[in-house]
Amino acid sequence: MTPTTASIAGAPAAGRARLRGERRWTFVIPLLAVLGVTSVYPTVYSIYMSFFDWDWGHRFNFIGIDNYTTLLTSERFWNAMINTAVFTVGAVGVELLLGLGVALVVNRLGFGAGIVRTLLLVPLMVSGIVTAIIWKIMMDPTLGIIDYVLRTLGLPTPAFLGDPSTALASMVLIDTWWQTAFVFIVLSAGLRALPVEPFEAAEVDGAGAFARFRYVTLPLLRPIILTVLMFRTIDCMKVFAIIFGTTGGGPLTSTESIQILAYRAAFKTQQMSMSMTMMVVFSALIFVIVALYMRVGEREAVQ
Amino acid sequence: MSGMTGRATGGGMRRRRQGVSIAAYAIAVVALFASLFPLYWLFYISTKPPREAFETPPQLIYVPDFSKYVSIWNTTDFGQAFFNSIVVVASGVLLALLVATPAAYAMTMFRLRRVRWIKLWLLVAYMSPEFLFAIPMYVLYQQLGLFDTAIGLAIVYQVFALPFAVWLMQSFFAEVPRELADASRIDGASHWGTLRRVYLPLAAPGLAATAILIGIAMWNEVTIALSLTFDQGRTVQIAVAGFRGYAAIRWQEMAAAAVTAVVPMIVFAGIAQRYIVKGLTFGAVK
Repeated sequence: MTPTTASIAGAPAAGRARLRGERRWTFVIPLLAVLGVTSVYPTVYSIYMSFFDWDWGHRFNFIGIDNYTTLLTSERFWNAMINTAVFTVGAVGVELLLGLGVALVVNRLGFGAGIVRTLLLVPLMVSGIVTAIIWKIMMDPTLGIIDYVLRTLGLPTPAFLGDPSTALASMVLIDTWWQTAFVFIVLSAGLRALPVEPFEAAEVDGAGAFARFRYVTLPLLRPIILTVLMFRTIDCMKVFAIIFGTTGGGPLTSTESIQILAYRAAFKTQQMSMSMTMMVVFSALIFVIVALYMRVGEREAVQ
Repeated sequence: MSGMTGRATGGGMRRRRQGVSIAAYAIAVVALFASLFPLYWLFYISTKPPREAFETPPQLIYVPDFSKYVSIWNTTDFGQAFFNSIVVVASGVLLALLVATPAAYAMTMFRLRRVRWIKLWLLVAYMSPEFLFAIPMYVLYQQLGLFDTAIGLAIVYQVFALPFAVWLMQSFFAEVPRELADASRIDGASHWGTLRRVYLPLAAPGLAATAILIGIAMWNEVTIALSLTFDQGRTVQIAVAGFRGYAAIRWQEMAAAAVTAVVPMIVFAGIAQRYIVKGLTFGAVK
């Protein structure tokens, strides 16, 4: 990017305007510089290194697209992709339904709505690792409070994080506790910002509560729901801390997400170039999904 | 809210509305319990006398024992990590505000060409998976001597802090009446002068809220901190995870450390409460 030429291109060639144009860019140059170092450099470096075989030692050979073919035919990689996809669809789905439901309910409260909204935000202030610790303590199969309550009530007591068949679902539950408040607070603010007139019109037309929700609230809320979905989807795809802090990817590889696998590849087994290849592929997938969400959003904005 | 509550008339409707309202409060109570009980339980485990922490049935009435809150500072390097986190947050927030504020001003005031591309770039940086930049920065920092340092971490944190800060500051700047800026310009003030004397004072609460929200995100960050620190530069989150140990998990110390790491964030969030919604919606909703 060449800021100065960009800003004067097409502008009248007057010296003063040109000087001003240059000074204007000084406002954004620090931003471009810092993001250049922290975001562009690593991305370019990762793409470059993905064509080499490098083990963080002396081995450093150009191997073309071998990393990509190895990665895309690796069972471990696809296992992590599927885990990540299942986790993302599960967590985003549950969080959207719960968040929307609670937002609708809390917005009906007269007295105390403000304090309820504030208190519901508390889990968002908790870090991923502390969230993991809380649930590791509560879900422990022998010492945990959840096991005790279920046992007392005579209900089945699953091993939660200790069983490959329930571990990923437990991870969805943990993320639901942690992040539903984000969906809730954004949709709650969106609901309160909706215009009153369409609801009054619907009521005059005799629309019941459900019809009003289905044909007035939902369509008006759609742009905000889309934005929330985009942020939650990407955030869930990047899931790391709550898995790292609870199972580390196990039992076996039942909760191994893409970022957990990339961490292991880079820092546990020294497959540096392979982990960077994985991040290049995964980032490309993320940007495709972001582009799709934005495409849908723009198309609806036009209509 | 106004739209969702129909204007009911007649006794039957009113009675039904009352029923709805009771159900709404019941649901709110359940949601509050689900949100807050896990944190209460963390506190409970951390303050139980050692032998009683996991007894069943749990004795909810007990004399809290705060000895773990003292011992985590004495017997481990938790204090060092806590201090590191303060350095990371202070320097990281300062850097983010210094860089993001003029950029947000420019994007509010000027019709810069290619501003669309900068916005897209901010979104891409914010959405990138952490290891896309954590692994290359690990390699780079090994060579530069920034590995395992608080400053190195504060720099990498700009990847998520800058987009967030620019979005948020832009939304605060947009609320400043344009006439004030024009008046300042006509009086002969430069753009830097206008930013400093008109925009910053008026958007000061927004600036503070932005600082708090970025600070919380940096304090809570795990993935990058895990990759780019090892020993001397460890942050509070990594130290909390460290109580898992090799031989046995020191549950109670870990719980006490976790509570110690969470409480300051809840306090800060309380201070910035009015602006949190705006922050979480990236300034999109007032």
